Amino acid sequence: MELPVLNAHQPAAAKGGCSASSCGSTDDQVNQLPDHIREKVQNHPCYSEDAHHYFARMHVAVAPACNIQCHYCNRKYDCANESRPGVVSELLTPEQAVKKTMAVAATIPQMTVLGIAGPGDPLANPERTFATFRMLTEQAPDIKLCVSTNGLSLPESVEELSKANIDHVTITINTVDAEIGAQIYPWIFWKNRRIKGKKGAQILIDQQQKGLEMLVAKGILVKVNSVMIPGINDQHLAEVSKIVKSKGAFLHNVMPLIAEAEHGTFYGVMGQRGPSPDELMDLQEACSGDMNMMRHCRQCRADAVGLLGEDRGSEFTLDKIDAMEIDYAAAMEMRKQVHEGILSDMEEKRAAQAAKSKPKVPAGTRPVLMAVATTGQSLINQHFGHAKEFQIYQASPEGVKFMSHRKTDQYCSGDSTCGEAESALARTIRSLEGCEAVLCSKIGYEPWDLLEQAGIMPNGEHAMENIEDAVMAVYLEMLAAGKLAEEPEKKQRANA
Amino acid sequence: MALKIIESCVNCWACLPVCPTEAIYEAKPHFLIDAKKCTECEGSFADSQCASICPIEGAILNSLGEAMNPPGSLTGIPPERMAQAMAELAAH
Ligand code: SF4
Ligand code: SF4
Repeated sequence: MELPVLNAHQPAAAKGGCSASSCGSTDDQVNQLPDHIREKVQNHPCYSEDAHHYFARMHVAVAPACNIQCHYCNRKYDCANESRPGVVSELLTPEQAVKKTMAVAATIPQMTVLGIAGPGDPLANPERTFATFRMLTEQAPDIKLCVSTNGLSLPESVEELSKANIDHVTITINTVDAEIGAQIYPWIFWKNRRIKGKKGAQILIDQQQKGLEMLVAKGILVKVNSVMIPGINDQHLAEVSKIVKSKGAFLHNVMPLIAEAEHGTFYGVMGQRGPSPDELMDLQEACSGDMNMMRHCRQCRADAVGLLGEDRGSEFTLDKIDAMEIDYAAAMEMRKQVHEGILSDMEEKRAAQAAKSKPKVPAGTRPVLMAVATTGQSLINQHFGHAKEFQIYQASPEGVKFMSHRKTDQYCSGDSTCGEAESALARTIRSLEGCEAVLCSKIGYEPWDLLEQAGIMPNGEHAMENIEDAVMAVYLEMLAAGKLAEEPEKKQRANA
Repeated sequence: MALKIIESCVNCWACLPVCPTEAIYEAKPHFLIDAKKCTECEGSFADSQCASICPIEGAILNSLGEAMNPPGSLTGIPPERMAQAMAELAAH
């Protein structure tokens, strides 16, 4: 089955994603998907920017073993390709995982998706992974299943995956070139041998591509993740994007490398830096011309529970689950009602947004990036100082579109200017590089001054307003004040 | 003749299913090899399977007590570089 080219019917001006007000942020990319795919993804919190405000996903850590080594991973911790490095998830047996999933589903009706992403490679643990999926398919048919893999064992797993009715598979594909692969994967375990260097990388690449093609042929949705590693594969990922799209992957998600010496990974110890927020966004832009990009991935950990960006895992430890009595038939009925309510809510909001008239901004007016502090519900509702991440929006004559998330102080991106002396506030401000305004519910004096010095206009006037409306309002103010005629003081990336 | 798993094992499970003689078992604080069952894969495979998939350098020893995967052989991190990075971290 060939999936259609998703962006083909968008006007060239909107290249790089959908204009949010005219067709509605990345979700609207979801709206443009063929019906059978849209149905599958519209309440998937990892795929739909809209849905992740309303629906929740969880991961269970049932798959400990791995069959390859990545230079960004240290097996003392969870797999870094889907998870945050430096954390260890509680390993569950398939039975425990099923119990946990059903306990969460009964408690958090918004939970729609169960994923197995580690802590190793799910398909390198086929018995544990498939036992979990089989039980869940049977006992909790209203939960969607998904799985992430490095791809090495994918071809031999496709048949079983299609039987277990798993409709979302994520493959981490960092390259299609064995030269580059050898700089990312030091070895693989293949046909009873450890194979190092380029030879191993070539086998892995071939298996990934073959697996991708086989999944698409079976009608199983495939998302591709790539880790952006500056100087290694950053120049190459646009080509990867093109290839995986042409083979039928429906989403491509570029994630930043996270490398710290204390993780003990090759890249961490060798001083390989991660991309700056700006570099990441530029690459996501470059790739999105070719395919749907997922911009809101937060790199959850392998046993994460909850809405993207929050984790309620501590409410569902094994002893707590053991004490729970679950009537899943009743839970399923309740879940159904909740889901229908949410979906009709989402429809309403979409319709309301679509009905709004488009503001008049002269064509050719330069686009502007703005950062927004929000806890969700599409509202500007967070204090600047409380924001652990900002959502970046772009305003342009085509409307408002969501661009990316930027974390503030969790990780430094590892470049040389990032020393210990740098305060959390300075780091936060640096993470906003390229933005001309930051919209939040409130902001203190100190950050206000520093932001102004950095050429970023703080704005607390739109508290509790809809994000897209507020971003457009600020854009129109800038237009009226003549600010859009001139280039901004600082290097401007919005139109790069 | 048998291989041995030592305390640097991170309990990742990778070795257990690949052992042809079921010599490996889950134990606390780390996985172990039953020396009576381990054949060092003689007669089954050219390379000992556990040591070919184990991601942790030094976690599996041969019968002479030497690391099957010596420092730097799997991660590619030169041992001096690792020592230097760890010293820098400790100094912080
Ligand atoms: S050397 Fe072979 S037989 Fe011995 S424990 Fe390892 S895998 Fe099993
Ligand atoms: S593969 Fe190595 S680290 Fe993993 S359980 Fe076996 S001995 Fe331990």
